[in-house]
Amino acid sequence: MQLDLKTIEALAPDQASLGAAAKLTKRSNWPRLEAHGRLPLIWGECQGSGSNPYRVAFDTSDHGYKCTCPSRKFPCKHILALAWIGATAPASFARVDQTPDWVNDWLGRRRKPGQSPTQAAASSEGKSIDEATRPAESAPVEDAAAAERREAAQRKRAEDTRSAVSAALDELDQWVADQLRLGLAGFVDASSERCRRIAARLVDLKAAALAGRIDELPARLMALRSEERPDAAIRELGKLVLLAKAWRAAPDDAELKRLVSTSETRDQILANPDAVQIESDWEVLGEKIETRRDGLVSHATWLLDLESTTPRFAVLLDFFPASAGRRSGAFAPGDRFKARLVFYPSRNPLRALVAERLGDASPGSWPDFAADAAGDPLAAYATFQDGAPWLSDCPVILPAGAIALDEKEGAWWQAASDPHGIALPIAGSVNQPLLGLDLAATAALWNGARLELLASQSSIGRLDLS
Amino acid sequence: MNELDQAGLARLRDGWISGGAAFELAPAEWKEVAAASSPDEQERRLLAIAAQALDVALRPAAPKILKRRPPLPVLALPMLPERLRPSLRAALKYAADARRKAQVVKLVASRGFVTHPMDWMPSASDQTAPDIYAPWIDWQASAEAEQLWHKKLTLQNWAEFFPAARRVALTGMRRSEPAVARQLIEAKGPAESAEVRLSLVELIRIGLGPDDAPFLKSLATDRSTKVRELAGRLLAMLGQHGESGADVPVAELAGFIEEGKAGFIRRRTTFGPAKTKSHAQEQRRAELFELCNLVDLVARFGVTESDFITGWQFGTDNNVDILLSRMVAASGSDTAVAHMADRLVDEGGKPVLRVLQLTPRLDSRRKRVLVRLILKQANYLGMLNQAESLDAGWLDWDDLTNGQVLPALRSIIGENDDAMRRAVDDFLETMGFLATATAATRLIDDLVAAGLPPASPSLGLLRLNAALAGNPPQDNI
Repeated sequence: MQLDLKTIEALAPDQASLGAAAKLTKRSNWPRLEAHGRLPLIWGECQGSGSNPYRVAFDTSDHGYKCTCPSRKFPCKHILALAWIGATAPASFARVDQTPDWVNDWLGRRRKPGQSPTQAAASSEGKSIDEATRPAESAPVEDAAAAERREAAQRKRAEDTRSAVSAALDELDQWVADQLRLGLAGFVDASSERCRRIAARLVDLKAAALAGRIDELPARLMALRSEERPDAAIRELGKLVLLAKAWRAAPDDAELKRLVSTSETRDQILANPDAVQIESDWEVLGEKIETRRDGLVSHATWLLDLESTTPRFAVLLDFFPASAGRRSGAFAPGDRFKARLVFYPSRNPLRALVAERLGDASPGSWPDFAADAAGDPLAAYATFQDGAPWLSDCPVILPAGAIALDEKEGAWWQAASDPHGIALPIAGSVNQPLLGLDLAATAALWNGARLELLASQSSIGRLDLS
Repeated sequence: MNELDQAGLARLRDGWISGGAAFELAPAEWKEVAAASSPDEQERRLLAIAAQALDVALRPAAPKILKRRPPLPVLALPMLPERLRPSLRAALKYAADARRKAQVVKLVASRGFVTHPMDWMPSASDQTAPDIYAPWIDWQASAEAEQLWHKKLTLQNWAEFFPAARRVALTGMRRSEPAVARQLIEAKGPAESAEVRLSLVELIRIGLGPDDAPFLKSLATDRSTKVRELAGRLLAMLGQHGESGADVPVAELAGFIEEGKAGFIRRRTTFGPAKTKSHAQEQRRAELFELCNLVDLVARFGVTESDFITGWQFGTDNNVDILLSRMVAASGSDTAVAHMADRLVDEGGKPVLRVLQLTPRLDSRRKRVLVRLILKQANYLGMLNQAESLDAGWLDWDDLTNGQVLPALRSIIGENDDAMRRAVDDFLETMGFLATATAATRLIDDLVAAGLPPASPSLGLLRLNAALAGNPPQDNI
């Protein structure tokens, strides 16, 4: 390994990055650290602020690097920390002969520089490893009066935010009533413009999460056939009314705050004693990646608990700017791993963080949920709606069934036990082979109108459908 | 939700779609729940109730007719093991076109596996997929495809077979009972479309013999020009003249060929391209080479096919050499094709590349000799991808070390010439198809040691090949 601290100092874009990297050099931040036995390569997984760990790879010969984090600093603190550990504690890296697929993917796409690396020539002026490792100066002791002033200011800020959000919801209520008065036919046609306007207003009034949801409403409507759009508009606007009422009834409710204004930080969730924690084997069912109108890409990774006797799901949700380009996720559909997940407090806990990776889980099929799904496959959805009627996407496990086509070539999932009864429409088109396969069980998201298929178990094994 | 609620919901929905207050249209129970001081609030409350009703109490009505496809046929080979599917997907993703993808699939089939249908599936019109996939092709082509794969094709059940199944059945019959297959084509062909007739007549090429001549001659009156031309070429392969009267173009083509004499002691006749005066003449010459059959041309000069090929002066004009190679491949007899290939391989150098045009008609041995020669010469590695109908997974490590190919590759990898690197990438894909698993493993190691990034996508097919070690090539896939 040809790494020394001077090189890392030179690579760092600024002193702040070095400081941040220093904090990440703790072994506990890195569930995985590996080095290639023969090639000048080190890589690892760093538990960052996202719900997925970031994947970091570094070529020690030419100082090329790759990190899946959304930072706009190059290299980011994760790269610097990995290189730093490589320079100071090479024994931390497990020696392996095989590079993982995601490292291979990076290696395959990168252009090996013929010339000497430019990064190494970067100036180390104004940046210092010593400075970064120096313990932060202890904060001056706060006197009681100052602490009281700070707390008062915090209370006032919270009160201001609550007033602003309350005003935002008043405006939303009025806007919903206006849409009903003007007619939903017109709303569907002009939804893009009208939603944009109220979303901007909600952002001004600190209801950012709600604004994001309304911004996505036109896209949800347009994904449906024109005759279905008015019903979808009623559903979506009705859910907004319910959410506004729920928030007014309990403005301090964590779930409702998350849906209306802002979400908790990762550290807040990890430190929350009420947050549900589940240690189990998880399978990545699939991914849902959407570019939002606000320029962010939302990357949802859906997981299935393999040790639960009833279907239990989790979703790892990350956001990053679309301008940062396509990011590879930490997990691929079909991956299985042992982990301790911490769930965001909620009526139907789904959104989670990976608190601790505990290695890989063995391959196999899903638990037999047949007994649960034998009756109404959407029973889980009804329960889900009872708890939180303002939400849309609900993960479900469907019993044995198959995919059939209607006269307009639209795809439907149809229960095997009752081929003339239960059938649910599928969003988008499906792969041709799927039409000829019997599906033993299917994981999907149901939003009240469409199924989004994630994965299936079939006679030819697991099918990745996301 | 009862019928009254449903009717009320429908009224509300219609009211809101057109706009205005809809409170009075709601079911009585809903109005009770939604009652409020402000009209706007009443409407919002009703909206929330309606949203819940639509979400939970109603679900999309399934159409009366939902079409289920028949089960996807199970193929005669097992599916590629799960652990190898990522390698297969990587190789397929890297394969630039249908021909390259077909090579990946052919390699996998040669090692005794078929792809997972979610990774790759032939289209309904696929003509290049290995025969093992024919049930899937017919499944794609028709929702009602029946499983007739184990039945023998006869005049009676002809209509029950779908095109790919028929093609596979006739191909097998042409190998074992060529006359029976021909009689079936003769009897059923006229009722088929020109495109289908053409593909049926094309099957006569398999096991072509003198007994096929009367049928081929009868096709001189076929409605389709393409069928008539194909029949003429097949007849030419049998050394017989067609009945389509191609006399005039042959005379014209002969005018573009110069006959001469060479040798002092043993005088022999030589043939070569006559000089052309214009681009228009060159174009016309190219058209004539495509139109005419070899047997008619050599008859014009009063020599045999072999004498003509022996006397041809290869290397005088590359373009005309290519035209002649194509003509021999299209209408030459098997003997003529083999003779030309042997002559060019013996000659070596650049003319050997003309054999590439003949590969669809060469036997496996000659194809392998050609590939080995091109590898040994190492000057025209890029031309290898023009060879068609090659077998998968037979090229040994010795074939790669016997010549300059490895030093040439290592040298290119060490340089920073993008164009050359692309040529190497292309070549490695071809090697991924041709090499044995052992040769693939050793080639990867060698090139990585020379500086090729270990995860280079161009190594994808070689890696898949190497991972399929332990599954020797299989025939009749």
